[in-house]
Parts: sequence; structure tokens; C-alpha cells
Amino acid sequence: MVVTFQLNGEDCRLDGDPMTPLVDILRQERFLTGTKAVCREGFCGACMVHVDDEAVPSCLKPIGLVQGCAVTTIEGLSSGNQALHPLQANFEAADAVQCGMCFPGMVMSLSAFVRDNPHASRPEIKAAMVGNICRCTGYERIVDAVADCLDQARKAGQLAGGIHV
Amino acid sequence: MSELSATVMNLPRRDARDKLRGRTKYTNDRARPDMLHAVLLRSTVPAGRIRKLDVSAALRCPGVRAVATGADAPGLYGIGIADHPLLAIDTIRYHGEPIAVIAAETEKQARAALAAIVLEIEPLAPVFTMADALQPAARLVHEGWRGYEVITEGGARAGNIAWEAKSSRGDVDAAFARPDIRIVESSFTVGRQSHVPFEPRVAIGSWEDGRAHIQTSTQVPWTVRNVTGKVMQLPPGRVRVTVPPVGGGFGLKFDASIEPITALLARMTGRTVVLENTRQEEMATCLCRENAEIRIRSAVTAEGYIAGREAVVLMDCGAYGGEQVFLTTMTAHTLGGNYKVGATRLVSRAVYTNTPPNGAFRACNGVYNTFALERHTDEICEALGFDPMEFRKKNVLGDGDLGATGQVFEADVLGPMLDRMETLRASTGTSEAKADGRLYGIATTVGTWFVFVGPSAATVNLNADGSATLVTSGVEIGSGTMVQSLPQIVAGQLGLAPDQVIVREADTDAAGLDVGVGGGRTTVSIGAASVAACAEVREKLLRTAGEMLQTRPEDLLLRDGRVEITGRPGSGMSIPAVVAHAQATTGPITGSGAFTAKNTPAMSGCAMGHFIDALDIPVFVVHEAEVAVDADTGHVEVLAYRVVQDVGRVLNPRAVMGQIQGGVVQGLGYALHEEVTITADGRIAQDDFETYRLPLAQDVVPVAADLYEGAPSMGPLGTKGAGEVPILAVGAAIGCAVARAIGKPVRQLPLTPPRVLRLLHEREPPPEFPHIAPGWASNTLG
Repeated sequence: MVVTFQLNGEDCRLDGDPMTPLVDILRQERFLTGTKAVCREGFCGACMVHVDDEAVPSCLKPIGLVQGCAVTTIEGLSSGNQALHPLQANFEAADAVQCGMCFPGMVMSLSAFVRDNPHASRPEIKAAMVGNICRCTGYERIVDAVADCLDQARKAGQLAGGIHV
Repeated sequence: MSELSATVMNLPRRDARDKLRGRTKYTNDRARPDMLHAVLLRSTVPAGRIRKLDVSAALRCPGVRAVATGADAPGLYGIGIADHPLLAIDTIRYHGEPIAVIAAETEKQARAALAAIVLEIEPLAPVFTMADALQPAARLVHEGWRGYEVITEGGARAGNIAWEAKSSRGDVDAAFARPDIRIVESSFTVGRQSHVPFEPRVAIGSWEDGRAHIQTSTQVPWTVRNVTGKVMQLPPGRVRVTVPPVGGGFGLKFDASIEPITALLARMTGRTVVLENTRQEEMATCLCRENAEIRIRSAVTAEGYIAGREAVVLMDCGAYGGEQVFLTTMTAHTLGGNYKVGATRLVSRAVYTNTPPNGAFRACNGVYNTFALERHTDEICEALGFDPMEFRKKNVLGDGDLGATGQVFEADVLGPMLDRMETLRASTGTSEAKADGRLYGIATTVGTWFVFVGPSAATVNLNADGSATLVTSGVEIGSGTMVQSLPQIVAGQLGLAPDQVIVREADTDAAGLDVGVGGGRTTVSIGAASVAACAEVREKLLRTAGEMLQTRPEDLLLRDGRVEITGRPGSGMSIPAVVAHAQATTGPITGSGAFTAKNTPAMSGCAMGHFIDALDIPVFVVHEAEVAVDADTGHVEVLAYRVVQDVGRVLNPRAVMGQIQGGVVQGLGYALHEEVTITADGRIAQDDFETYRLPLAQDVVPVAADLYEGAPSMGPLGTKGAGEVPILAVGAAIGCAVARAIGKPVRQLPLTPPRVLRLLHEREPPPEFPHIAPGWASNTLG
């Protein structure tokens, strides 16, 4: 079966088993290894990508279901020499990263979350992280950085008259 | 103190940006289309004899390029004793044991060919528990144990006892016979803990110019090199190991496991071969923190003096000795730590069973021995009517006190740390109000750990652009030592900025021997070797600059990238100018440095079968937990958590705080819900993320921590390792807090809701160990 979709803004055409998990195509055929295949069962969140702007685990997404969709991976979030996404910049500034394997997925989940929930509280941020496991950091610094990011966006929004993270 | 002010800072991680953008290439991101893929045939029985193993049909399957079995790698490896084959030879000892490996053009082809291997196994009666293994008539997991090569002399061994270490100081019988003491006895049992690094064990092997090259996700490149040499019966120098960034280790990658297989297949095929554990394989064969059984007895006077103490600790090493052989040593320093004791004797035994082998996990052995010791201490306090905090303040180790092996501890550290915990609690307040009708408990516990020192080497090359290249066998596993403390140390020594220090990733062809990244040792051991290397660089740099400036070298100093004349800021010349001159006159400026343990003495005759008789750098912690227990569901919520940690000297406070938060949360998982059990057919039951319950964001609280500086340390600038120890006393603090909340003795971890409910309703049977004899000496090999 032929599947066509947008991958990080470019047309992508695949001919293969439509049940192939998207994560395998990304990693093994496109060498987009920023998407991590950790549990492959949808529990860990390390393989999160955006499909039509919604964060989904790419291990549970058969490529047959991305026909006509726009897929963005961590590599597409801030490509080349582009500035980091504000969340990435906050994680870097807060020294939140340790081994780093969970972070691409964490960034993809939370970038969709902060876009849709500009007024989220700390407990709401934690609730949003239920599908992203981190084995190194103990989470709190990640939560702090997300809260800081929202705070900065709100302050910038007050100046610019709108909120955009 | 200018050296210190140039070293201590909250340096951010240089690897964070690429990690956040998904650009970092971990080992398992490096598979290429031209590589062969290897898959393992693993045992589906826990014990048996291989009657037939025929791989000829598999070799003819599409895409298959090689099949290897134990016969292709006949050497045995291990720690202390060489008991472990790379692939099973004749005997199966655990469910999941690798028996054969297939390399094919694709993973799919390799998997398909597995079915073509003809394997006949005659099952043997498995020995699943330490109780079974210690029965007088128990079947031997290793029938040929007597014939194994002994790598380290000194441990007693017999049958299913892979290794036994003892410590004995003073007349314990006399202490227990005193008329003025009461005897308190406690028994504890703990399960395994799975590391769950997000990057599983993975290796890429190639065969280049007659030598193996293994790229792998490991904490111990030199161990992988040496083990590969051993099993392939090659001089280890014919193996090169390089290490990309590691996606989590936590001790799991502190031993070799599947890496040598890739070198073997690369030699057979002439191709590059990748082998990566699936998540299921990774968890089913995880070299877990071992399950253990502990019986401890103390003789205590009415005044609260611990006159005598004895303990038996059984550690399940699983099918092969591995790290547990070494870790028997640690009981003397963990269960034998924390408190002043009159006379003491401790035995720990690593016991073979037909279960997946265990290994090293952050603060190995210490985590459960600290749980046992602290709960036992609370049971002493309850039996004799002491206040637990006052009892601890009175009895913790201080200056001049003796450890279990007769080591003399220096300085009062734990006592002042307990005071600091009270100050910290006063500043944060307590959280009892949040219990909101649930059962509330608070407990303060102490712990003793150490820095695992040992050999490290470093080379520093000073470059003509003013940068320095640091070459070591250190590995960045996530803790930040390679990107924070080490460049900070080198920069501080040479008057550079940390971003001018290039840190080479581990390559056993480029750097000297190193024990590995673990045991909280990297900042201390590689750091000390780096300081020594910098001393040579400094000496050469100042000598050259002295000639150029017509000034004595002792009147020069290094600051802000310049060689300056002391007392005249801005004088002298830039480091690049001096380096360029040296390159043209005496040659490039390089320095090398080395470090190893100082081997602090124990008391003569006190330590038997120990790999470390005394601690060169003890590390202490004080942990305090507040919990609320729901009496209807048994659920334990952690309301607050506080830590005072002995860090010696903190080089990067923010990085250390990150290690404390992460280590405590791993400990909360161990204490509350990370549970590994063995099925009736010998498998680890929890082999995925659905069945193994890791801590999630909503389970955790921000840890309040106070870094205690100033305790003596031989580490560079007075440092101690800070990444290992945060997990040490979490099981203890949670166990003690839950026991106080529910008013029942806690003698087992993890405290899952069903277990807490059983404890509340007195339906949880206390641990009983019929295989531990009443008399201490009967539990030793004499």
C-alpha cells in the first residue's frame, strides 16, 4: 500500500505494510533517530511526534493511519540553525536534562500542551506528563521549566497582546 | 582560594541542546543499512542440559551470515571468580540465558532463522530461591564450581554459595552474654529492582585490522575490553571499546553482557554487527538490584549503648556470581555503618539460584542494608523506649569511632548532619496537615556509603588556540560528570573557561585504564587524575613562560587564559602565545596523571573475603520522609522529602541537586511500587512498562536538600561523589515513616498498597528464614 504524508514539511511517499509503526519508518528508513523507541507500547512517551499538531506516540501509529497527515518530529520542531522552541530553551537553561533519552518525547508532548493550555497550573502540568516517563531526573525540574515557560509566554503576551508559545 | 572560585559554578550541560533537539546519537541510534543485525536464541527453561544444538539449517536461511554458539567463545568471565560463559555451554542456568546468536542482513531474517536452530534440552529441577539453594541436599547450580578460575583470592566458597565475606571485630559472644543488655532481633526481606535505562544494552561490533572494535552503551569500557578478550581468548589489547553518549545506566551497564557477541560475529563475518536487546529482553534479563534476606540482632544497654551486633545477609546473585560476589564486601560498610557498636560480626553470602543474574544498581547493597539497619534501629528504640532521633544523635559514627572492619572514621559528620536536618525541617515546615485524615508518619534516617575509588588515568593536551583536550576513559551516562565537573576541574587548574576544555569520549585506544563510571567515583577518581595531568601541563607552561618573560616560574600564575606575573593583573602573555613558543622549542605541552585508592587500613584480621577492607572516602546521608497512608486502600503518598547530603565540596550545586532529586525518586519507586517477582517457570514476571510500575510525575514531590560541605575527602578540592548516594536511604526513610504511620513493623519492600493493607490488618506474615541458622557462626563456611 502506498502512503503519502508530510514529514517535517516535506512530501513523503512510502510503499509498504500499512501496519508498520510510524516510529520504525522514522528511525530505520528516514534516520530521524531523535524519536526514541523505548517501550514500544505507548507507556513511556519517548517516541511522541505531532500528527496534525496533536501529540501522539509514534509506536502506536501505523503508517496507514497517517495518510494525508502532517507529521512533525523533534527534528522538525527547531531544525537547522533555527532557535530552540521556548520549552527546549527553558529545559536547557534549567539544567533539566540528564541522560536525555526521554526529552525529545517530553518536548513533543509538552509543546502541544503549552500551546493548548497557556494558563495551566503545576498539577495540570504534572497530569499532562502522565504519558512521559523519565528515569533520571525525578521530574520536578521539568515541571518547573514548563511553568517558567508559560509564565514567560504570559508576560510576553501581555506586552504583545496575545499568547503564543 | 582562586582555584576554587574558578572551579565552582552552576555550569550548564554542553550536551543538553543536542539531546533536546534529538540530535545526539546514542549507540542504538547508530545502526546503518550496511550493518548485520544479530538476535539471540534464549533459553525458555530455567535449568537444563543441552543435549543437542544444531545450527546448520539456520546457517542456510535467507540473509543469514553467521551463527555462533558457546563453542565459538569458550572463555569464562566474572568478578572474583570466572563462572560466566558468553553463550551457554552445555548447561542452562536461567530462563532467558543466551544459547546461540544469528547475524543476518536484516533483523527480520535473523529472527526468522531462530526457528531453524535445533535445540534439545533435558530439563533439570530448578533452584529458584536462596532457601532452596542453601538446603544441604540442594542441586548445585554450578556443579563444577571448584574448577573455576579464582580471579581474586580470599572469599570462602562452597556449592551454591558463590562467595562469602565476613567481618568480625571484638568479642560479640561476650557482648550478648552481658547481664545489662537487651537483645533485639529483626528480619527483613527485599525484592529486586530493575534499572530500566531508556537506552537498552546495545553494541555495534566490527573487526578492523585484526582487532575488535566495539561501540557500546556501557559504564565500563575497560571491563568490556577485558571480558571480550577473555571470552574470545584474545589478548585484551586486541579489543578497542568506544562509548557514545549513554542513555541511562544506573549500574546496569557496570558489567559486560552482550557486547562481546558483536565482536565475535564481526570476526566471523568481516561485517559490522549490531545487537540490541528488545525492551522485553532487557527487562527479562536485567542485572537487577538483588533480592536479599537480612537477619540482624543487637545487644543494647538500658542507656542506649550498642554493645554487640551480628547479622547474616543473603544476596541472590542469580545464575552467575557477577557483581554480587564483589558486593558481599559492602555489608561491612553499610549494615556495619552508621553507628558506634562495641563488638560486631557480619556475614554476607552471594547465593546461586536458577534465576536471571543480578548486578549493580546505584548504591548497590547499601539501599536494602540501610533499610534493614534503620528499621532495626527503630525497633530497638521501640523495645527499649528511646526517642529515635535522640538515639541516633547519641550513637552515630563520629571522629575516632571504629567501623565493622576496624577502620577508624575521621571527623564528626553524621552528628552535625542530623542537626542540619532539624534546621532544614524548621525552614520548610512539616506537612502533617496534608495527610487530611489519613495515617501520618515522619521518620529521619541515616546512611553510610562510600566513593568507589580505584585506578583512573587522564591526559591533558594544551592546544595552540588556548583550549585544552582532556582524554580519559570516562563516560557520560547522564550524571553530568563529563560535561560539568571534569571540565570545571581542568579549567580551574589551568586558568581557562570550562568551554575551552574539550572532553574526549571514552576510547580504550586513546586513554589509560579506568574502573568505570559508577560508585560515585568519576569526579573523584578521574578528577584527581585530571588534576595530576594539569600539574604537569602547568609546570611546562610556566617554565616556558618564565623563559619568555625572564621571570621565575614560581612568580607566575594562570588566570583568564593568560600567564600572569603574580600581583600584576593583565601582565604576562596569553596562553596561546606560550603554547606556540613551546611547540617550536621544546614540543607540544601535554600532561598525564594517574590516581588510585589509598587503601585505608582495616584492623588486622577483621575483614575476610573483602574486596575493600576499609572505605577511603566514606559518604554519609540523612534522609527524612513524611507520608500519608490511606487505611482503606493501603496507598502511601509521600508528602514531603528532605535530604542532608555529605558532598565534601560541591563543584556544581545545581547539578548535584538534580542528582538528588532523581536519585530520591528512583528510591521512592524501590520503596513503594517497583516490584520484580519470579514466575513458576523462573522468568522475571515484570518485563514491560505495563507490569513494572515506574515513578511518574504525579508520584513525586520536590526534594528539599542541604549540601553538607567540609567532611574530609581525598578527592580533588575535597570533593566526594554525589550522584550515587541520593538513593541510599530512601527505602529506609519511607519504611520507617510508614511503620510509624500504621503502627506496625515494616519488614519488607516495596510497600505496595496490597502489602500495606495486609500489614494494617496483620495478615502479612513476618519474614522467616529457616535457612538462616540461629547461631551466627553456623551461617559461615568457617
